[in-house]
Amino acid sequence: MNFGDFKLFYILSYLGLGLIILSPTLAIVIKLPGGERFSELWLLGPSHMAEDYPFNVLENEVYKVYLGIGNRMGDLGYFKVYVKFRNQTESLPDAFNGTPSALGSLLEYCVFLSDSETWEKEISFSFEEVSFEGNVCKISKLVINGYVLNIDKAAVWDEENHGFYCQLFFESWLYNTTVSTFRFQNRFVGIWLNMTGNV
Amino acid sequence: MVKHKSVVCFVVFILTFSGFIDTCFAADKAAADEALTDAENDLASAFVAVEDAEQVGANTSEMLAKLKFAGNLLADAYNAHRLGDYDNACSYAMNCSDSVNRIASEAAGLKLEAEKAYSERLFETAAVSSAGLSVLLILSLFGWRFLKRRHFKRILGMKPEVGKTG
Repeated sequence: MNFGDFKLFYILSYLGLGLIILSPTLAIVIKLPGGERFSELWLLGPSHMAEDYPFNVLENEVYKVYLGIGNRMGDLGYFKVYVKFRNQTESLPDAFNGTPSALGSLLEYCVFLSDSETWEKEISFSFEEVSFEGNVCKISKLVINGYVLNIDKAAVWDEENHGFYCQLFFESWLYNTTVSTFRFQNRFVGIWLNMTGNV
Repeated sequence: MVKHKSVVCFVVFILTFSGFIDTCFAADKAAADEALTDAENDLASAFVAVEDAEQVGANTSEMLAKLKFAGNLLADAYNAHRLGDYDNACSYAMNCSDSVNRIASEAAGLKLEAEKAYSERLFETAAVSSAGLSVLLILSLFGWRFLKRRHFKRILGMKPEVGKTG
């Protein structure tokens, strides 16, 4: 090793040691960007698994699903989950444009979650005053977690799929502190339900 | 007679102050709407304050629990409102506002404490790092002088070799 190389090695060693000594201060001052920020919204069946979801439903029978939210936004989050119910002709959220369903919500949940925290809620639901007239099924009441909701929905017979289909779905909204309002996060989950009559 | 007067006074007292205890008694839609708007704003303000405090490293777990409780009340208020139950909607909304009314100030206090703690920690760490760097600089200068001197001494002490030519 010649003198020039040795000098360079000495300076680099000094800089390396200097960085090690400075690292506690740098760790306080420099905020490294976290991982990908996202939120989760899920719906599980009655056995707490992604299976056995209610599908063929009867009047006055109680069905159960589990709704969950996960916060991976790297920060405290204020979420709202809107519960909505639609027939086949009514609007769903538009995942492409990121717009929510135009339908009004039946119920809502306000959820505060710190980073990496999850929330889960058992959703029990049943239908009351269901009638079938020709190719139309009229549903007057939907009971969700004890709330009796007058929905007055009509599901028309689906020739192709053979059923009276409706959808119970959930939209997740997040409070945006910049604009001081809730914004639809383009997250929604739902289950299709086929209204069936008692034989 | 005195006994009767006492009973009447007691009844009047109860009737007077019961109005203050529950101002939402027999609320109409407008009152419920107003209470909901207030509760929504109060909860949002509390959330922003807690989030600010959390971002500077304050321990907000206690306040987060309060926010969750208030959030449930607000959801109950909205759900009761949707069902046309304005009394309960109003009552839940007011309870929500009450439960978060001190959170913003508490969070602001915690934020100040956390910022102060951060500044102190930064100052202490920076002071230790500066002292360490200074010591390293002095040692390395002395070390460099020592190594340089040793290197030249070694070179000057070398004997020239006489090569043979064929």
